[in-house]
Amino acid sequence: MSHLSQERARDRIDKLNIESIVEVICSALSCGATGYTFSTHPTNSRILSALETSGKVPRQFDLYPVVPYAEGYVRLANEKGMTGLVNEILSRLSLSDRAKLLVEGGFSALRLDPAGMLKTYLDAELKGYLSTKPKNATLQSVLLHEVLTDLCLGLGETGMLNVFAQHLRENHHVTPGFVTYNFPRFIKLFQEAGLSLKDVVIMTPFNSLGYQMSPSRESCEVCLSNLHEGSVIAMSIMAGGFLSMDQAIEYIQSLPGLSGIAVGVSTRQHAKDAFAKLAVL
Amino acid sequence: MGILHAGITNSISGANVTAICEKESFLTTAAKAFLPKRIAVYKDYQKMMTEEQLDAVFVTTPIGTHASIVNDLLKSNTTLSIFVEKPLASSYEEAKVVCEAATRSRGVHMVGFQKRFSPVFQKAKQLIEQGIMGDPMFFRGYCFSSDVLREGSAWRFRKNTGGVLLDSAPHLLDLLIWFFGEPTRTMAIKKQVYSSEVEDYVHAVISYDSGLQGHIDACWSVSNFRLPEFLIEIYGRDGILTVTDDYVKFMPGRGSTKMGGAQTYHRQSFETSPPFLLADIDYTMEDVAFLNAVRTRAAPEPSFLQAAKVNALTDQILVSCKKG
Repeated sequence: MSHLSQERARDRIDKLNIESIVEVICSALSCGATGYTFSTHPTNSRILSALETSGKVPRQFDLYPVVPYAEGYVRLANEKGMTGLVNEILSRLSLSDRAKLLVEGGFSALRLDPAGMLKTYLDAELKGYLSTKPKNATLQSVLLHEVLTDLCLGLGETGMLNVFAQHLRENHHVTPGFVTYNFPRFIKLFQEAGLSLKDVVIMTPFNSLGYQMSPSRESCEVCLSNLHEGSVIAMSIMAGGFLSMDQAIEYIQSLPGLSGIAVGVSTRQHAKDAFAKLAVL
Repeated sequence: MGILHAGITNSISGANVTAICEKESFLTTAAKAFLPKRIAVYKDYQKMMTEEQLDAVFVTTPIGTHASIVNDLLKSNTTLSIFVEKPLASSYEEAKVVCEAATRSRGVHMVGFQKRFSPVFQKAKQLIEQGIMGDPMFFRGYCFSSDVLREGSAWRFRKNTGGVLLDSAPHLLDLLIWFFGEPTRTMAIKKQVYSSEVEDYVHAVISYDSGLQGHIDACWSVSNFRLPEFLIEIYGRDGILTVTDDYVKFMPGRGSTKMGGAQTYHRQSFETSPPFLLADIDYTMEDVAFLNAVRTRAAPEPSFLQAAKVNALTDQILVSCKKG
């Protein structure tokens, strides 16, 4: 992947196919990567299947899917309108999921129980990925996409975040996770709402430029150093490809309390180089 | 777009979202269920205006409804500040009526051309004003996306209120007006690829009295564009300036007197942290600018009058397309 420019990202996509992506992931795992984070884009389900059938996965590893595949739903909303989007999502559910939506959700489609709808949707979204999960992979956490996490933060609505977390813990026995660009606000609202950060994964940008670190790099650093619960995974450590891995590591090394790093790689060599350097951490 | 602006606005210090209006029954019910209880949900904006004490309203409805809703809002409250998602209206005639009505209002009025709040396009504007590429001779620009790869059924695919010319091309046209002022002549063609009522592709040659000329392509049916992409490339006597959503690049011409050689500014190098980040910094900075204008009563940009120029240009392009 590349966030430095869309042109570059498109060039790279052209060169990637499922087989080469599997090679990149296996190289990364051989060089020290311990997990794989991905959106629930349909291609990723095929990648998981290909990983399983390749027989090349070198070790046990963890999965961190990010739900939902937001860009896909935005495109669908543009195409069909908001009501059309809802109908499309319902039509994609299996008959049993639709029945579940009506029964277990307390006839939620009729009286719109938001918690029931969210749980049913989440189960349906995850179903395809759980069925294609490689045998030596563990579903470590399911993370909520930053657009939804940050929308809830903006509206001051932590109720849905809590429903998401509880459902994953109780029904999937998985650690709930949240991607956010507003790390201090996330922690503040969670704590104010009396929600536990214990056994919560937070994936959020950390880089020396302060890129995508809202409201500021300094406040994110202070928040991290004062945090005693939760697992924080740093993302965007190279500021979307603007910083070198050496620059990124120099900054990341100065931060206390990170439990992981998410980094994008696009070739086998890139994976080897990146994870060889990250091994010093 | 409405929920996006609600989330951002509510996060900005001193602002509170107190009510929303949604016409569709299913979405109204969903909004009541999902949104915090302190936010009132209405189906009828006239009722909302009667029952709520509002300082400002964001209009994020289908383009064809902008003019009538804004006119009603201006009539119902003469101090109300209004933000309208781009474009201001679906035609220049409608836009002129809205601008006329706004002159009798004491509120502030802004249109959501958020590219003006993108750090890269702001940097490009600064470099153009500094004359980095010398006298501009011609330009090319595009806005491409993969949003429409089959026939859609939403309002943006209906005749007179949709099509790529009203949907995404206005961003590109507004940037050109922001950079160079209003053009005087256009020649254009359009094409339907997947849609049966509206165009999926527009090509326009745009000319200025100064002699500057250029062309733009707008298409929402180009495959392999994960996100919408914008590019403007300006060819001047002293070099070429290229701006995209990701970077600004200046390539000096041979024999150019400009010092410093090629220069590339990636957005990461000068993007500052916004107070709150939801989706993209451009949206936050746009909403911050509008809310500051509401507080200070300073005229925000782009104003209704500035935005009406985009409607004038889209109308010119449509007329040219019809002439063939």
